[in-house]
Amino acid sequence: MECPEEEEEEDTAAAAWDWGHAATRSRLEEAHFPAKAEAAERSEFWAFWERLRRFRGRPAGEKGPGGAGPPARRQGYDARWRINLRLPRGREVAGVPEARVQEFRRALLHFLDFQQKRSFARLAQLQRDRAALPIARFREALLTAVARSPVVVVAGDTGCGKSTQVPQFLLDAGYTHVACTQPRRIACIALAQRVAYESLQRYGNQVGYQIRFESSCSSATRIVFLTEGLLLRQAQRDPTLPGYHVLLVDEAHERRLHGDFLLGLLRRLLPARPDLKLVLMSATINIRLFADYFGGAPVVQVPGRLFPITVLYEPIPPEEGGAGGRKERLDPRPYLRVLQAIDHKYPPEERGDLLVFLSGVAEIGAVVEAAQAYATHTQRWVVLPLHSTLSVAEQDKVFDMPPPGVRKCIVSTNIAETSVTIDGVRFVVDSGKVKEVSYDPKAKMQRLQEFWISRASAEQRKGRAGRTGPGVCYRLYAESDYDGFAAYSVPEIQRVALDALVLQMKSMGLGDPRAFPFLEPPPAASLETAVGYLKHQGALDPEEELTPIGSLLAELPVEVVVGKMLVLGTLFGLAAPTLTTAAVLSVPSPFLRSGSGRCDPDCATSRWPLESPLGDPLTLLNLFDAWVQVKSEGRGGSRRWCRRRGLEEHRLYEATNLRRQFQELLRDHRLLEPAARPSDSYTRQRHHRQRRELQRLKREHEQGEGRRRKVLRLQDERAGSSSGEEGEAERGPDIQDVKFQLRHNVSELQAAASAAQGLSRPQLALLQLVLGRGLYPQLAVPDPFNGTRKDSDQIFHTKEKAGILLHPTSVFANSPELLTPDQGAERRRGSKDGLSSRHQVLAFVSLLETNKPYLVNCLRLPALQALLLLARSLDTNADCTRIVADSWLELQVPAAALQLLSTALRLRASWEEVLGQQLACRRRGLGSQAEGAAERGPSSRQVGQLTRELLTFLQTEVQYGLRRLTPLEQQHLYVGPTVATAVGPPSLFQGMEMVPDEVKGGYKVGGFLTFHCLAGEGDLYAECLRSFWTCPRCGLYMPFTPLERVAHEDACRPPGPEGEEPSPAGLSEDVVQGPSGASALQRPYDCPTCRQQLLLTPTEILRHRKQHQAPPEG
Amino acid sequence: MESSKEPPLQGTFECELCGLRVPYSYYGQKPPNTYSVTLLEDSYVMRDPFTPEKDKFLILGSECSLCSKRVCVGTDCSLFYAKRFCLPCANLHLEEFPLEIKQDLEKRIRSKPQSSRKGDSKDRKKK
Ligand SMILES: [Zn+2]
Ligand SMILES: [Zn+2]
Repeated sequence: MECPEEEEEEDTAAAAWDWGHAATRSRLEEAHFPAKAEAAERSEFWAFWERLRRFRGRPAGEKGPGGAGPPARRQGYDARWRINLRLPRGREVAGVPEARVQEFRRALLHFLDFQQKRSFARLAQLQRDRAALPIARFREALLTAVARSPVVVVAGDTGCGKSTQVPQFLLDAGYTHVACTQPRRIACIALAQRVAYESLQRYGNQVGYQIRFESSCSSATRIVFLTEGLLLRQAQRDPTLPGYHVLLVDEAHERRLHGDFLLGLLRRLLPARPDLKLVLMSATINIRLFADYFGGAPVVQVPGRLFPITVLYEPIPPEEGGAGGRKERLDPRPYLRVLQAIDHKYPPEERGDLLVFLSGVAEIGAVVEAAQAYATHTQRWVVLPLHSTLSVAEQDKVFDMPPPGVRKCIVSTNIAETSVTIDGVRFVVDSGKVKEVSYDPKAKMQRLQEFWISRASAEQRKGRAGRTGPGVCYRLYAESDYDGFAAYSVPEIQRVALDALVLQMKSMGLGDPRAFPFLEPPPAASLETAVGYLKHQGALDPEEELTPIGSLLAELPVEVVVGKMLVLGTLFGLAAPTLTTAAVLSVPSPFLRSGSGRCDPDCATSRWPLESPLGDPLTLLNLFDAWVQVKSEGRGGSRRWCRRRGLEEHRLYEATNLRRQFQELLRDHRLLEPAARPSDSYTRQRHHRQRRELQRLKREHEQGEGRRRKVLRLQDERAGSSSGEEGEAERGPDIQDVKFQLRHNVSELQAAASAAQGLSRPQLALLQLVLGRGLYPQLAVPDPFNGTRKDSDQIFHTKEKAGILLHPTSVFANSPELLTPDQGAERRRGSKDGLSSRHQVLAFVSLLETNKPYLVNCLRLPALQALLLLARSLDTNADCTRIVADSWLELQVPAAALQLLSTALRLRASWEEVLGQQLACRRRGLGSQAEGAAERGPSSRQVGQLTRELLTFLQTEVQYGLRRLTPLEQQHLYVGPTVATAVGPPSLFQGMEMVPDEVKGGYKVGGFLTFHCLAGEGDLYAECLRSFWTCPRCGLYMPFTPLERVAHEDACRPPGPEGEEPSPAGLSEDVVQGPSGASALQRPYDCPTCRQQLLLTPTEILRHRKQHQAPPEG
Repeated sequence: MESSKEPPLQGTFECELCGLRVPYSYYGQKPPNTYSVTLLEDSYVMRDPFTPEKDKFLILGSECSLCSKRVCVGTDCSLFYAKRFCLPCANLHLEEFPLEIKQDLEKRIRSKPQSSRKGDSKDRKKK
């Protein structure tokens, strides 16, 4: 800090005057500062004033820089002449002597001059820094290339400045309507701020950003930083992207799914938009690929600014888990050796931090633990983990400063490879490993596996050591390993599930995704799986065209299953809880894991009351609702509430944003009622006042923007904490909370939350079913022997994969008894044959394989009811006592329970109908408003009846068996088409068309049921199983097979209590069979006994067959 | 905030000594929207980009009173003592300045080679 020039005129009377008097100060301020000057400016002035007076007060001998000796009495020198500013003519200030006012004014002049010098120094520094960036020398070349060619590739490595400078070059050159895409949201905000700052605010509001829930754009915006995903959404609305003249695609080398797809779209778009300029920016990785993809686009190659880096290969010996050795837990010794080597070789005064690249969170935990112990011992290191599941505050610590003589040791995943740039790193340790999610299309499973990195990644990691000076990179593998690495990492499109991509492509009308000109095409099998999955989910029809629900799902930025939940939830008045559940399921888990990977027991205890015995989605719902309650009770408390429960509050904020987005989307599509307005003017006014106050807080925060870097404390035992972290977190307004209050209608959220907490048991059961239908067919069954296993060894099977564990965060992981069928009473009644009324299946959100395969976010469902209502295919034997759902789950139902199947058929039909009406009304609503009120959705009476019937159905108690078929059984499941012809159509399915199934055998009934197609049954068409029965309605007494009995019951069915409008499947036969006799139910019937060919209804067939029977004896 | 309040861009100031190029928004002695602080020389001025306050201005440079070169206010390029002097001119007339100025100028010349300071960018930067 520069000190002001010393004043010559010493004021001998100074001592008698009190400058500290507040009233004096404020009078002087009033006369000299503009009324709107910030308080900060005034206090800065008085601080300056104190310094000035201290400086003046010094003995004469010490004054002047460099002790240049007593200055000669010079003619006319006055420090005031060194200032090129002049204050306006002074006014008198009441109560302050003129001489004092003069003194004050002189100080003020010096203060203004000091401010000028300070700002100018910053400006000059900024310009020097910009000019020193390698890209600065390529400005002209770049602008020329952009002017001449529609596509330009800018290739430059980390530190060349392309991300911040290229946008400014374009702005300076007069380009407008520029969009710059980033793979990550955080980069959008950071870059917009940086560019606005570097361009000296000249563009002010002309630089904006736009991320999922936030936008700083206005009509004045000339350049916007946005995520790749968001630009894709815009392209979905208008494929020609008419709003932009220049598109900058940054970080193209990252090869994220969205980025790759975006490039594909842009390539297709270029011929239609000859005016469009496209600039790809990439690290110098595989540049030819990009240039060639765009027909040999010119490349502007910018060298990076890297200092020399020494590479040391130090392969891990086998006994420490290297090459041959395989260990459960990562051995930290090789990493500790590096810390020691650094301590040994480099004096602590030579600054420089260490960045360690490991593959995953568990590995980071192991190394952090060991390094911590070492650091406590040496007091020369602060150890900091860095990975994406850490809280934002913890991630932010890596940017703090270590105390002098202490180095930071940042232990990170590959997040620090390209996404997070940490200055001051001099040493890098590269494990050579990365964990990447790969997708197994066969098992429909995400797999998090450890791989060797690519050479390109290894170079990126190494480069992190040479940003601020010469560095050292320790590679914990052999040079020969390095040579064996793949040149580039596998792009995301080749290793992830493509469901969402295909859905989006379909909704953009891009035709067959198999024919799309991808930069590098995904594996054909992945595309096929995605198409098959979308068909299975009902988003695509058999011709691979979007269905109504599919086109809605394409607009929801979530997984297909979650989107389905949302749509289904709107039907039964469960919109609020489904919105919340869908939102929380779509953000990363809010459950924090501490550095060691385990949650401490206190957290677990305090989370316990939030757990739902129904499963994780409902636990998350409880969690969110409880959080909203805490938020609505008053500000500030929620942060502590979350910390105590080991929750990342940021995720809940994200979920709230997402929930609102879902809500708006559903409203746009008329699946939800429009928002209610606060009715009375008093409430409105109060809201208005509150909002004004919040806006003020937010503005204040933004002006003081930018967290100051703090100094890290040496750790005690706990992980490195920055000074004052805990205390500071509680001080002042919580800006996240302010934003939350501003953005959301808290009272509405709170109402939804308490409504959800007050859901009755039946409503919960219905919610369970709705969520289950959304998640379907992602189902798993418990292994039958789980009852004899330890809690942690409970295993589950999906159709494709056996032996899956519950994710440790799951509710069921701690309470597996919730999933075992034989409990209490049932056990006593004895169910050794596996019969129970409580079999459960698990619907799950995802299947993730790390070291073992895990089910993530599980919801339990009553097996029989869920399968009958949801299964895509139900196959039965001749008397429907054996039902196989989706060709892998076998239900053994007692004959008496057959009524359930018939009810299920009816319920499914009316559920479909109601849902169809709901979606159809939305489409009409979108098409033309004019058709208006007549075209409403399903009637509330219809929905009410369906709701009641579904609930009754769910509550049915039947003893049944549930079994997963062995793979061999699955292969030989069906009789095949020839055998089935021997059997006549049964009477259970009256009113439904029955078509012989050409693959399975038997008869197809409706869309999903195939009757009598199961092989392995004795050929007994169950004559022997008849037993006498009296119909309670018509009094008919005769022997029936179970099937015949159900058919009769159905025919005889009384109109239900609310059955004024029975659905077609439930129509009684007599009604249909009009006097004309031309019944729609009549079927040709070849009587096997009398060889007659007849046209009969099922009941008539029954009567006919009865004629041939001998009368019962006795 | 309406953008019409912003003064129109007037051009780019370029220091003839160090080459600093910055767009300025005002030239003269009475920058608009200030505390009615005035300048003692005709200067190239922009809004101070380092403060959120709209009314703060920043002086970039002016013309040397002797040779009329456009020079920035940086200590490596010019000196103000009642008038603006570019450093070459100031050095030519060193003896005519008071002792304080002489000492100051000599100090500047001595420290000149190491003029580029270390950046203070602790900001999280994108590459
Ligand atoms: Zn200059
Ligand atoms: Zn001159």
